[in-house]
Amino acid sequence: MHEQVARYLGKLQRHGLIEGPGDAALYGLDDEILTNAGRVPGTMRELFALLNINSLIIARPGPLFRYVIGHLCLREPGLICPRDCESLTFIHDIPVVESLDPRRTAQALNRRKGCIVGGELVVTTGTVSLEQAFISLSSILFATFVKFFADALNGLHGYGEPVPRGMLDALPGLLARAEPRSSAEPLPERAPEGEDEILRAMDQAGKAVVNARLVDSFFGNISYRDGGAVYISQTGSSLDELPGYIDRVPLDGSSTCGITSSSELTAHVKTYELTGDNAILHGHPRFSVIMSMFGHPLPFGDRRSIGGVPVVSGEVGAGARGLVHTLPEAMREFHGAIVSGHGAFASCTGSFREAFTRLMDMETLCYRTCCALVREKLG
Amino acid sequence: MREQERQLRALFVDLRTRESRREELSPYVTRVFLGGRGIGAWVMGSCPTVHPLDPDAPLVFSTGLLTGSRVPSSSRMVVSAFSPLTGTVCSASVGGRLGLSMRRSGIDLIRVAGRAEGPVVLVIDDGRVGFEQGDIPADEPLSGVFGRLEGAGWSAAAVGRAAFQGCRYASVMVDGAFASGRGGLGLVMASKNLRALRVRGTGTAKAVDPEGEEKARTDILRLFDASPAIMGASGLRHFGTSALVDLMASRRMMPTANFRRTYFPGYRSFCASAIREQEAPKRYACPGCPIACKGKGRAGIPEFETLSHFGALNENADLGAIIEANRICNEAGFDTITAASTIACLAEIRGVRYAGRELVDKVREIASLTGDGPLLQLGSAELARRMGRPELSMSVKALEMPAYDPRGAYGMALAYGTSTRGACHLRAYPVSHEILRKPVATDRFSFSGKARIIKISEDLNAVIDSLGACKFAFFGASLEEYAKGFSSVTGIEADTQDLLSFGNTISSLERHINSLRGFRREHDLLPERFFTEPGSSGAGIEVPPIDRKAFEEALDRYYRIRGCSPDGTFPQDKAREIQSCMSR
Ligand code: SF4
Repeated sequence: MHEQVARYLGKLQRHGLIEGPGDAALYGLDDEILTNAGRVPGTMRELFALLNINSLIIARPGPLFRYVIGHLCLREPGLICPRDCESLTFIHDIPVVESLDPRRTAQALNRRKGCIVGGELVVTTGTVSLEQAFISLSSILFATFVKFFADALNGLHGYGEPVPRGMLDALPGLLARAEPRSSAEPLPERAPEGEDEILRAMDQAGKAVVNARLVDSFFGNISYRDGGAVYISQTGSSLDELPGYIDRVPLDGSSTCGITSSSELTAHVKTYELTGDNAILHGHPRFSVIMSMFGHPLPFGDRRSIGGVPVVSGEVGAGARGLVHTLPEAMREFHGAIVSGHGAFASCTGSFREAFTRLMDMETLCYRTCCALVREKLG
Repeated sequence: MREQERQLRALFVDLRTRESRREELSPYVTRVFLGGRGIGAWVMGSCPTVHPLDPDAPLVFSTGLLTGSRVPSSSRMVVSAFSPLTGTVCSASVGGRLGLSMRRSGIDLIRVAGRAEGPVVLVIDDGRVGFEQGDIPADEPLSGVFGRLEGAGWSAAAVGRAAFQGCRYASVMVDGAFASGRGGLGLVMASKNLRALRVRGTGTAKAVDPEGEEKARTDILRLFDASPAIMGASGLRHFGTSALVDLMASRRMMPTANFRRTYFPGYRSFCASAIREQEAPKRYACPGCPIACKGKGRAGIPEFETLSHFGALNENADLGAIIEANRICNEAGFDTITAASTIACLAEIRGVRYAGRELVDKVREIASLTGDGPLLQLGSAELARRMGRPELSMSVKALEMPAYDPRGAYGMALAYGTSTRGACHLRAYPVSHEILRKPVATDRFSFSGKARIIKISEDLNAVIDSLGACKFAFFGASLEEYAKGFSSVTGIEADTQDLLSFGNTISSLERHINSLRGFRREHDLLPERFFTEPGSSGAGIEVPPIDRKAFEEALDRYYRIRGCSPDGTFPQDKAREIQSCMSR
């Protein structure tokens, strides 16, 4: 447990979700509570007593997230309802409570995996490991960030509720602080050969995607086709910690080891078939998702574009309305596409280099388009 | 209580007098025990020390409060009794239409007691109770029996030849293809001279809040679609549980040669793709389940545990023999896991191997009570004891281990020990996080944090079994979504934590009943082999023996978390508290 506490505290910082180690208290319980917080406050003991959980994180996120959360709490007191498809699928909605009163907080956490407290703290739980609490925390921050900017942009352009003055005034400054990272190390150009090199290349690409903040480590996926097999990250694996968590799935259906692979395995395979590419990266870059939600909701099967990048709709997985039915066709022309309210995909031949650059370019394009749309209305 | 809150409706049947009585259970009992396994434990709690085959020992068929609703994959039911194999409280969840038919005929639970003078069939036709002569030949294959019992709108549960011959692990079969397999519940049914139960129901089951029910349904279906284990290209939807064969082999935790090894090179002969190629199975489902994990080729397609145990555990790479062994078990009505494990145990004691035809012959001997049949039908614990090699029964509390080697997953090791019905993978189902990475992955070679995880998972799975839901649904969805469905369907306000606390009551009650029946810490330990012999390391995976000290420490932690004393029983005040939950 000690090891888990240290690991996820480090991750919270590395991923820019909190500013310093003092901004999050992580608790793990087997038969006694362990924490990085020095001692276990009475409130936490009471919370653990009220909940059937084994882990809990209480975090004060970085200033940009705090602003966003504070604002959403004012607009939607009691319950924040994200609209992006990943959040709709996995976290549904986010309860808001006024203070860290154990009973009230427990009530909220009885309903959902996490909640917002006092307009600035995020509390999340897990029943299996701290990883669950970490994922929920990261999901809540992603969901609120995307909702804030998507609502603002849509409100500004008449597609949603009008935007309050305070939010408008703050928008340009917030956008400036949210600019995507641009100084990513390029990935090797040479295509990997043989299993060892492929696994190493995937590890490198996964880390690059996380470092460039194109995904919040546990989301997204990555694959590489090598002849008759696809190497793909396992479901729920952390893209910056891939070694040991990559499945080799033969394309002739001779093995079901892919049962632990990413939920997007079928979409990847179909994309390989249609594009002839052999490397795919899938991330959840924030502005790609925000821009894909700009305007009227995109009906299933329809397509639009952001500066030439196709945007399609589709839910997670291989269901009737799954992105497996829309994404691969869109990838055929541009080798990159955004799934509305979900994330971005990029593919290429050879190494991961081109796909990574494309994913970065798509995010930069979306960020700039978003800034331009704000400027258009606010000057 | 909200005015519209659902209450469980019980039917009490005395087979001796052929009298029956209906009763609506109190809102408290309904809310806390939920139906299914929970209400089974509640019934067992009223006579905790009765012998499993005493005429007055109860046999319970119960649906869950979600059965018949639009909440996906929740039409299962449960059969409960005291196990003649293990002596513990025992319940087994089963698919098919019987639960739905019971619900539609306005009955959530049937408690059967007494012993009929001759074989009878209990008939419930839209709530009306009757009896028919059960003069079906005792050795008639169950497919024939179901041919007689089913028909337009009818569902049935029946026992086969094995039960009437005294097989300690005879199962109760439902609708021909579904088995309430473990623990010998079929023998309890036969001991009452109850040949079968037939139910027809035409009523409807409307949710208290249909809109909320629909919302929960949509959320759950979306999560199914997002789950690789459920709807993914290699998932249950496409391959059923046979999808696990390749995975268990690659994780080097496939019990082989009576658990002497953990890797069987011949596994490819019974993996999912081999089955698809040779049997081209058609998929079918329990009512209201979009997953449809069941498969039928020329004969029924065995589940993963059956494939692995009639395969690797007996060092048998003949798929045809596995399918035939499975067919014989289902026709005569006995548990495939215990049968395969008992044969493997006998083989080790004799220093031989029963594979291919010889394996099928051994299974046939159990069914016909010829050759080694009388010995094999006792189960491995009693067989090994009688043959002077008790250490070679790979069981806990006399229930044989399923096809997940505990040296390859330490949560599983602990869960085999603490399970209230003996070595069972389903009571805490750590396969979900240790192997399938749901809800998140945990380190399978570590006991760190596992005591609490297993305790919480036992409570969660008690809820799942009590609601009538299917465990496979939880490879995608979680109790969060099912709790919403539950409240919308029943009108009973309960969130995730409320349900988990009911799960705690059910699990603790089962453990308490077992302790009243004499079960202690020593019954929660694993066979010696797992602490002294390594598994089959390879492919970069090291499979050492389990560190006994670490196991025992995890067990200590589990007891503390569950509120038990170090001997695994409850201290007096806690025992009183559990007892008071029965009727509060
Ligand atoms: S997943 Fe399989 S066992 Fe579960 S309800 Fe569906 S068909 Fe029945």
